[in-house]
Amino acid sequence: MSNFRRAQDQAHPNKVSTLTLAIIVVQILLITLQIWLLYSGLNNTLEHNQDVAIPALIASFFLFLACCGLLYFLPGRKR
Amino acid sequence: METKQYPQPPDWQRDFPYRQEEARLVTRREFSRMLCLISAAMVTGSGYVAIRSFWKGKSEPAGRFPVCGVSELPAGGTRSFLLPGSNTPYILIHLENGQFKAYEQKCTHLSCAVFYKAGTGKIECPCHNGWFDANTGEVVQGPPPRPLPALEVVVESGQVYVNGPA
Ligand code: FES
Repeated sequence: MSNFRRAQDQAHPNKVSTLTLAIIVVQILLITLQIWLLYSGLNNTLEHNQDVAIPALIASFFLFLACCGLLYFLPGRKR
Repeated sequence: METKQYPQPPDWQRDFPYRQEEARLVTRREFSRMLCLISAAMVTGSGYVAIRSFWKGKSEPAGRFPVCGVSELPAGGTRSFLLPGSNTPYILIHLENGQFKAYEQKCTHLSCAVFYKAGTGKIECPCHNGWFDANTGEVVQGPPPRPLPALEVVVESGQVYVNGPA
């Protein structure tokens, strides 16, 4: 059976390179969002505003899942 | 003059390859996995913040504490003080309009000591040029993200008292 993984592993090196780069850029974006969530959660907590910390934690967790999920699309090693 | 011949490209050239096919040998896979680790660290940090927001470790001092006599502090003057059982520095300010205000003497940016700038009604943080309103503690200018935490001040029979933060 052919799937995304297989098709991608057969891709041209240039395409593999672009894909890898794109995935890394998206991951960095997700982490930037997480940093922002951590920062606002922390500031609101220190301001005795408890409503932000929990939603920020949940959102941060889902961003983490997305970050790991992206690994599936990472092109394979050089054969 | 003879130039030195390298058996293979020097290290720095292998670290920064010129052609893209060579760049493929640098394992971006590992970099990507490391990003996932950083992401997990962010979740851990957020989790820690969430736990700390609902669970207070050590209690803060509660009750009323005398600081000084009204006559000891002229208008525009300030006095630093500590509350018993806590290491947080506080600053008592006698504003020019006669009011007394007490704030944490710790900038909300990176915890530098803040000072009242007499005559301006503003509190200055010299570290990164942050300014707070001495009347309310609100940020006027600069990098501090939060207002200065204030203590309630009570003036009774010639004596200035503050109420603990708890
Ligand atoms: S520590 Fe006060 S402005 Fe940075």
